[in-house]
Amino acid sequence: MHAVIMNGSPRVRKHSNTDRILARFLQGMTEDGSTFEQYEISDRKQWERARTAFQHNDRILIALPLYVENIPGLLMEFLETLIPRGGDATLSFILQGGFAEGAQLRCGEAYLEMLAGRLGCRYGGTLVKGDNFGIRLTEGKEQERITAPYREMGRVYSREGSFFSEECRKFTGPETFPFFTRLLISVVFRMIARKRFARAARAWGATRPLDDRPYGGRGV
Amino acid sequence: MVLLINTTDDTGVTGQLRELLEKTGTNFEIVQTAGMKINPCMGCNHCWLRTPGICSIRDDYETVLKRIIGAGQMWVITDTALGFMDHKGKNIFDRILPITTMYLHFRNGQMRHVPRYPVLPDVGIIFRGEADRAYLERWTERAALNFERKALGVFRSDEIREAVACMR
Ligand SMILES: Cc1cc2nc3c(=O)[nH]c(=O)nc-3n(C[C@H](O)[C@H](O)[C@H](O)COP(=O)(O)O)c2cc1C
Repeated sequence: MHAVIMNGSPRVRKHSNTDRILARFLQGMTEDGSTFEQYEISDRKQWERARTAFQHNDRILIALPLYVENIPGLLMEFLETLIPRGGDATLSFILQGGFAEGAQLRCGEAYLEMLAGRLGCRYGGTLVKGDNFGIRLTEGKEQERITAPYREMGRVYSREGSFFSEECRKFTGPETFPFFTRLLISVVFRMIARKRFARAARAWGATRPLDDRPYGGRGV
Repeated sequence: MVLLINTTDDTGVTGQLRELLEKTGTNFEIVQTAGMKINPCMGCNHCWLRTPGICSIRDDYETVLKRIIGAGQMWVITDTALGFMDHKGKNIFDRILPITTMYLHFRNGQMRHVPRYPVLPDVGIIFRGEADRAYLERWTERAALNFERKALGVFRSDEIREAVACMR
């Protein structure tokens, strides 16, 4: 199998969580000899070649971060320039986001199914998973722990050419968190995450508190 | 205050809105983004971690953002593409990230970001062209969660009167 892979994140490749996810996924996908070509939507200089690849291949995979419940504006701008296919290609998606609950990604997923049809492609399903915000803030083993599960999904995609299997459905994890889990997360957040965020902010050069209101209480 | 953000280059819709809102004595403001430079969000996260609340892209969006903060309602007038709002409309929403903080809390059982400002607007959409309306309605409900406010609904550009009936 040969697949066209597009990283639909507006974030430059160097900092993109989608890129780290794809790296793992593609390790799994290429184990049985499948091949791929990859394009970065964050780099407008690649759009022309990405358009040509979309036009001439029958297996296309767009991996993207959820941006305000749907696809990023920059990816939308790119997709608006495509000429729809004639039903002769399969378009699948890897949808990832920051929030951990599966339910948070369903609105975006529903659009992707519609989008495949609008782009004249058969829908090859969407691999849905959240809780990926931290990839960028981690390194080495910790990052590997977050991205490693995608390798197996790459194998599945290479074998089946889609994400409709039970394995892929389960990959999402819990749709929502039960009450006690929420309580636990809230406590952990107050005790650990805030400190971690503050540390990250200092490393990034922040000089004001993270909840500062630069435009005043009511703005303007 | 009702904030109308027109991302189309058609000022006909905002002309009608102006006329109707003046009649009802509604306090409103219209922003035309057609002549403005508004880039897409590129996910740098500076507005959360480096310069809290301030976007690193120094373009015309800052004036839009300042108006969103403190508005009672925000309506985005948008063209459509691929069944949804086009990229110009979507960019207005992607760029709202500075109105939230990186902090998290649970709202109605879901994890959400803590808003940065106490007064944020309800959200409505007026669209021009063909789109999957049921989907847009579902999406607007979700988008409003970022403001921790409610969705005002989705209207076609030939349903201005119905939209105005929701503006106050
Ligand atoms: C403008 C913007 C909007 C976002 N909206 C959502 C969202 O609605 N739901 C969600 O789960 N994550 C959201 N995220 C988080 C990203 O999807 C997440 O951090 C992702 O891992 C980024 O991948 P990337 O580094 O490849 O761009 C948003 C991020 C940005 C910058």
